[in-house]
Amino acid sequence: MTEAKKTPLLDELEKGPWPSFVTEIKKAAANSPSAQDLLGQLELSYEDKRGHWKHGGLVGVMGYGGGVIGRYSDIPEQFPNVEMFHTIRLNQPSGWYYNTKALRQICDLWEKYGSGLTNLHGSTGDLVLLGTRTENLQPFFDEVSNLEEHPFDLGGSGSNLRTPSCCAGPARCEFALIDTTDLCHDLTNEFQDYLHRPMWPYKSKIKISGCPNDCVASIARSDFSIQGTWRDDIKIDQEAVRAYVAEGFDIQGLVIDKCPTKCMSWDGNELTIDNANCTRCMHCINKMCKALRPGDDRGATILIGGKAPILQGAMMGWVIIPFMKLEPPYTELKEFLEKAWEWWDENGKTRERIGELILRLGMRNFLRAVGLEPVPQMVNAPRANPFFFWWPEETVQD
Amino acid sequence: MEELKAKILEYLAGVSKEKPRVIAEKIGANKKEVDKACSELAKEGKIEYLYIGTSYVTLAGRDHTPGKIKEE
Repeated sequence: MTEAKKTPLLDELEKGPWPSFVTEIKKAAANSPSAQDLLGQLELSYEDKRGHWKHGGLVGVMGYGGGVIGRYSDIPEQFPNVEMFHTIRLNQPSGWYYNTKALRQICDLWEKYGSGLTNLHGSTGDLVLLGTRTENLQPFFDEVSNLEEHPFDLGGSGSNLRTPSCCAGPARCEFALIDTTDLCHDLTNEFQDYLHRPMWPYKSKIKISGCPNDCVASIARSDFSIQGTWRDDIKIDQEAVRAYVAEGFDIQGLVIDKCPTKCMSWDGNELTIDNANCTRCMHCINKMCKALRPGDDRGATILIGGKAPILQGAMMGWVIIPFMKLEPPYTELKEFLEKAWEWWDENGKTRERIGELILRLGMRNFLRAVGLEPVPQMVNAPRANPFFFWWPEETVQD
Repeated sequence: MEELKAKILEYLAGVSKEKPRVIAEKIGANKKEVDKACSELAKEGKIEYLYIGTSYVTLAGRDHTPGKIKEE
């Protein structure tokens, strides 16, 4: 094992009341040479003000193109135990529900084949296992995918479908308007080949939120954001509203004035909602959850184009389907996804996400390709700029 | 399919790595068919997927480890 070095810069990250990844790596370093060298290389990165990881190389398991991210140190002579420090992504259970046996199995295997360091969960949603050597990848995968009780599959990486992920959903949340966990599991199985084998211009992500609160930030983190919503009226219990006010709740200041479309009014006795102008932002329901509930006609809004910066800068998803009923086997959603991916695969440049391609070629081309009619909800920024340009033959010239 | 797989292997023998779409263009094949053929070739261990910023396919056994790589 490389001799433990002092890490004054990393030690700074242990100060304060918060948990520190440095503390955890130090604990692991007691038994793991690679964790010890990881600390050393990271300290040097802080001194040099640059990373010392090389990205890429050919690492993976037989037949797959996803789930493993190659990492090599650019100073292996100083830190031989992190010469290779590949990351493995495991496909997490929908909603991140594990039992302790499943977690123990993975941790035991990861101490056998890897550094013992984990990251629950990576930004893609996967269970992330940090740091192993190339020769350990196949044996680890063979074992983890054949665990008797809780086998795990690899997650996505590369120009693949990335591991679909969802919020905790109806198992824990009263606001879940769709069964996020079932949908996530279903899509994962349906598109398993796209998860494992890269065949697109770049990555594509699906994230699912049970309601417009969007606790998993699907709108900012996924090419296809699926958010539970409703299309009938918000249910009001007027007695419960009056009880809120009687207890001193500032309904005018906290709810009425904060409604983004000003579609609510309170006359001192009764709450009125102009549902046609409600954008289902959930603010009033969050504030008065004993008095207001979402409607009963439930489904999802589909948004497209969210991504982090590379070609076009960070983008939020925009509404592409305002309301879709989402019930098994989710045929309508799957057909839409297939058409969108096909258009993107045919037209996208390398490393161009689908949202960027829509910006480059125009929304009307995308809508024609996937067979959708333009609707007023398809705007880039609400109440600001029209996003759809009509085809010349569809416009009436004066 | 076997004919297509042979064409893909022949094309990859002349390059370091390539995207499936470019392979499809170069050998005049349908992209979806190339994807399927690549999946089969990967399962047979004849090609491998490679991730360097974006994904490529390459002939099995070629060493693309950063630092050792020699692009053709």
